[in-house]
Amino acid sequence: MQSTSPGTSAISARGLHKSFGATEAVIDLDLDVATGAVYGLLGPDGAGKSTLIRMIATVLAPDAGAAEVFGHSVTDQRGKVTPRIGYMSQRFSMYPDLSVAENLEFFATVRGVGRADRNSRAKSLLESMGLAEFADRQAQHLSGGMKQKLMLASTLMHSPDLLLLDEPTTGVDPVSRREFWRILASLHREGRTVLVATPYMDEAERCTHIAFLDRGRIRQSGTPEQIKARVPGRLLEVASAEPRRTLAAVIALPGVDSAHLFGDLVRVLWTGAADPIEALIAGLGGTDASLTVRAANIDMETVFAYLAENAPADAAAVGS
Amino acid sequence: MSGKRIRLLIWKEFTQLKRDPMLVRLLLLMPVIQLIMFGYVVAADIRHLSTAVVDLDHSVASRALTDQFASSGYFTINARPTSEDDLRPLLDRGQIQVAVVIPAGTQDHLDRGETAQIGIIVDGSDSQVSAVGSGYASQIISRYNRQLMTDAGISVAAPGVDAQIRVMFNPTLDPINTMIPGLIAAIMMISLMAIMSQAVVKERESGTLEQMFVTPIRASEYLIGKLTPYAGLATLQMLIVAAVGILWFRVPFNGQLGVVLVGLALFMLTCIGLGLLVSLVSHTRQQAQQAMMFIMLPTMVLSGFIFPIASMPPLIQPLTNLIPLTFALEVLRGAFVKGTGFAALAPQLLALAAFAAVIFTASIIATRRRIAE
Repeated sequence: MQSTSPGTSAISARGLHKSFGATEAVIDLDLDVATGAVYGLLGPDGAGKSTLIRMIATVLAPDAGAAEVFGHSVTDQRGKVTPRIGYMSQRFSMYPDLSVAENLEFFATVRGVGRADRNSRAKSLLESMGLAEFADRQAQHLSGGMKQKLMLASTLMHSPDLLLLDEPTTGVDPVSRREFWRILASLHREGRTVLVATPYMDEAERCTHIAFLDRGRIRQSGTPEQIKARVPGRLLEVASAEPRRTLAAVIALPGVDSAHLFGDLVRVLWTGAADPIEALIAGLGGTDASLTVRAANIDMETVFAYLAENAPADAAAVGS
Repeated sequence: MSGKRIRLLIWKEFTQLKRDPMLVRLLLLMPVIQLIMFGYVVAADIRHLSTAVVDLDHSVASRALTDQFASSGYFTINARPTSEDDLRPLLDRGQIQVAVVIPAGTQDHLDRGETAQIGIIVDGSDSQVSAVGSGYASQIISRYNRQLMTDAGISVAAPGVDAQIRVMFNPTLDPINTMIPGLIAAIMMISLMAIMSQAVVKERESGTLEQMFVTPIRASEYLIGKLTPYAGLATLQMLIVAAVGILWFRVPFNGQLGVVLVGLALFMLTCIGLGLLVSLVSHTRQQAQQAMMFIMLPTMVLSGFIFPIASMPPLIQPLTNLIPLTFALEVLRGAFVKGTGFAALAPQLLALAAFAAVIFTASIIATRRRIAE
């Protein structure tokens, strides 16, 4: 790894813009990712996450704006950017008819990694990812989770300082997903910077910073705590025999900001001044004897649902 | 340009080729099978036309004439109906293609020194059969006439024009001698373009092309790395196919080996380049296949492979110069059959070189543009 003093910017983008025909995929976007961060790009399909990552990875030229990776332009200094990044595309992009070991060998050699480094890194990466016994298997015969791990291993072979991961866990089983994030956490501890796109809100909690993208713009960004703090009030879960009737009753109560069904529970966002548990039991008590109320932690799903409802129509949200 | 990266790309292509035995078979075995199969098709000269003879005269003259037809090799007498009315059903069922009717009294007419009328009926539904059949029939009859006159002691050396036709270069008029060189070029073109057109688009579909662009590989390195293994295989293919053409079909090789090899090598580069270009600009494999069809059909029709360019409408003729196969055919036919040398074939060889240069420049530009995209 090249030395990069902590606090300097790994990615700095200003006014990035990209259209595909009439569709504006990324609109006038600014992004700052500090060195050492695990930066999560969240958002629904079509939000512009892939387009943004591909522009930073130098594979897609922006229509307007500029982006720098470790101070080098992604358009004019591609040769200085590519050796320091590892880009993992959303689709599986290894040679299906080459084996795991051959794919690693090929992409590392192309990037100028010496033989000794290649061998030792391939060995340790395959071992740490549980792929060692599949080294001679053709990539097309790997399972979905193993394919993702092979791609991650391949992007790590030249020991890049910045990892650009485009939905690495989409379509991967929950066990592999957890394992994948365990690997990302260890990369974070090594001091590498990670920009990771994901449609899964629960993965946001594992990031040091997150940005929520929607229709080509960043709507919210900051640390998970900062973003959670933007949601006023407290979250409560109400269990009852008839959740739908409870939901209708809850919404009418003073102090309730919003409420929605969450499985058999009614989730209530309380912004009132009084103690919410007492107030809710008092307000609903007459209708159902089996009613229980308990406080819940605010999760990212709730945060983004709240922020999406309450954000001004198209204004870019305040950054961190 | 880094030789190390190019070597690596070549290693990768060969490793992949080894795992795709179908592709190697397609490149090396298919052309041989096709050449042998199509070789016999194009070599099928019109001979042994199924013929019926209606001999109503039953004379020495009628038997002599029938023998002339039978021994010519062009007509095989399969039916001897007793009346002209029986011919129609035979023709309708396709059992005969030609009928000879020798009316009663033919011998008498000849004996009296008069001209006898012989009927020749030809099935016109196949224009080639009817043209060739009637041509051969009139030849046989005129030969018979000459023989009659000689027998009668009449001098044939009467004043008049006697055409002495001598076919140069291909004295047996065997179509195989011109068709095999053409087939070699056409088969090479089809198999190379079919495979090359998939080469890059396959990587685009599998996402490895995008991954390649995050590495220091340059457009020119990528192209050379992609091309070299296939050019090697194509050379092997070219030698095998040419050898089969010469050894199996005994196509006389009158020319210089150098001319044929240079011509084929330039044509091979053109085909590889064209396939590569199709592959570069296509987004999916299907697109590449469709683009191939758009290129192959006019190539086959307009190159002179099937129809002679000289007999095409004047407006169409200039178009044939846009087709690389046109020049490859001229080089191969010239070199194989006529033994034409470098000097006489220079324009065609230069044209092929120009095609290769233009196509490869376009490929490099297309690759660069893909990077920017």
